[in-house]
Amino acid sequence: MLTALLLALWAYLCIYDILGPVFFLGFRPLIAGFGAGLIVGDVQTGMLIGGTLELMALGVYTYGGATIPDFTVGAILGTFFGKEGGFEVGISLAIPAALLLTQVDILQRFLNFFFVHRADAYAEAGDEKGFMRMMVWTSHLIWGLSRAIPVFLAVAYGQPAVVAVSNFFENNPWFNQGISVAGGILPALGFAMLLKILPVSTYPAFLLIGFVLFAYLKMPLVGIAIAGVAIGLVYQQLKYRGQEA
Amino acid sequence: MDTAMEKKLTRSDLMKAFWRYIFLNQLGWNYERMQSVGYCASILPILRKTRPDPEEFKEAFITNLNFFNTNPVVGFPLILGAHAALEEAGASLETTEGLKVGLMGPLAGVGDTIVWALYNSIIMSIGSVMALSGNVMGPILVILLVLIPYFAVRYWQFFWAYNQGSNLIAQLGSGMISRVTELATIVGLIVIGGFAPSIVKMSTSWEWARDVEVRGEMTTQVVNIQAQLDAILPFMLPLLITWLAYWLLKRNWSPIQVILLLTAVGFIGGALGILG
Repeated sequence: MLTALLLALWAYLCIYDILGPVFFLGFRPLIAGFGAGLIVGDVQTGMLIGGTLELMALGVYTYGGATIPDFTVGAILGTFFGKEGGFEVGISLAIPAALLLTQVDILQRFLNFFFVHRADAYAEAGDEKGFMRMMVWTSHLIWGLSRAIPVFLAVAYGQPAVVAVSNFFENNPWFNQGISVAGGILPALGFAMLLKILPVSTYPAFLLIGFVLFAYLKMPLVGIAIAGVAIGLVYQQLKYRGQEA
Repeated sequence: MDTAMEKKLTRSDLMKAFWRYIFLNQLGWNYERMQSVGYCASILPILRKTRPDPEEFKEAFITNLNFFNTNPVVGFPLILGAHAALEEAGASLETTEGLKVGLMGPLAGVGDTIVWALYNSIIMSIGSVMALSGNVMGPILVILLVLIPYFAVRYWQFFWAYNQGSNLIAQLGSGMISRVTELATIVGLIVIGGFAPSIVKMSTSWEWARDVEVRGEMTTQVVNIQAQLDAILPFMLPLLITWLAYWLLKRNWSPIQVILLLTAVGFIGGALGILG
């Protein structure tokens, strides 16, 4: 029960972090899973689940407030269940949990109307103190609880599900195979989302350069990033030559 | 006008606005007005000082609850700092609302591309690869690379924009934003070109056997499909599946729908032993 409370609190903190301070990017699965690993006393599983989900969700952000799968909660629950049932059990519970929670996210974003209408009332009354009381004490409740409550319930009462899932895995190796292949393909979504917000058709050559550096020259990722900055700078120097900087 | 300008704001007023921004910026986010309440809470300490008349203060309070949404790391503090400078110079509510509406869109584009899409994807993929090999420095490194640079960039933006004041609009209009965005775009595309095939894993274990007659003798020739694909273009399947996801998003599929499709393809392919 203590673990359930601590993990629920961690989920609350991870979501609060992206709503304000952004001190540790707690909503990213790598960090959420790492913290959950520390809480349950199994950092390795936390990093495995978090790292796997992070690569699946690379580049997946709520651009303009669009709802995305809740990999934060997915990583926390995946770590908790993965500690007992192993990595496959953890990851295969994390993905459906992340997808299920998207509905909760849409709902809670609607419920937050409450705060903006309360704010209007405070503004009409010129009541800054009342408004700030609401901002500091209650404005994060709906957002935080929409993550903390599902985490608490799943951790406190989800045990039988884990036993059932791990038994199923032992008897059906093909299922395992399917999950791991799907996990390898999913990162395609993150890259597709990145490509969608970038003007691909204006600069197709740069995509090809990156591909050649990796696929033929076997350059490590940091090297590609540094080469990218250099190429970008040279491109702009040539393009804007003669204009003031 | 600048020289005669009276300093109504103290450093402690500015710091108060800055800390409120840090701790409250997206709280109460909702579909109707998005970050409006967080923005309003951050600018209120400034409005208190620049509009001592209760009626004027109330009007500004109400106005600053209008729709607002931008990137919370790059954009929000810059607009807040510039807004504080305009308030101090006695600008009208129309001017300050114009500033907010004019800058929030372009800065959201810059911030989302540079901070979320580019910087985060790089540090997160490096951190994840380290974490997957069991190295606790992976997540710790990511936290450090978020904690310090993010805070520095936010603090710098806020005070830079405040000090630029009304010059800011001219500065940003001079093409600086588009230059920075262009550079970020180029780096982003090069990085994605290399990252996508390195991280998306898709290969086929399919083999195709056929009986052929070689000099009158029947033999079975096994063709390894993956080796054939690699000979044509390395990482062909990861590229194709990424392109498919991109194409579907462009046709207004939602990310959730694409996830379901990719999961189905991977799961069925893996379970049948065709992929992986």
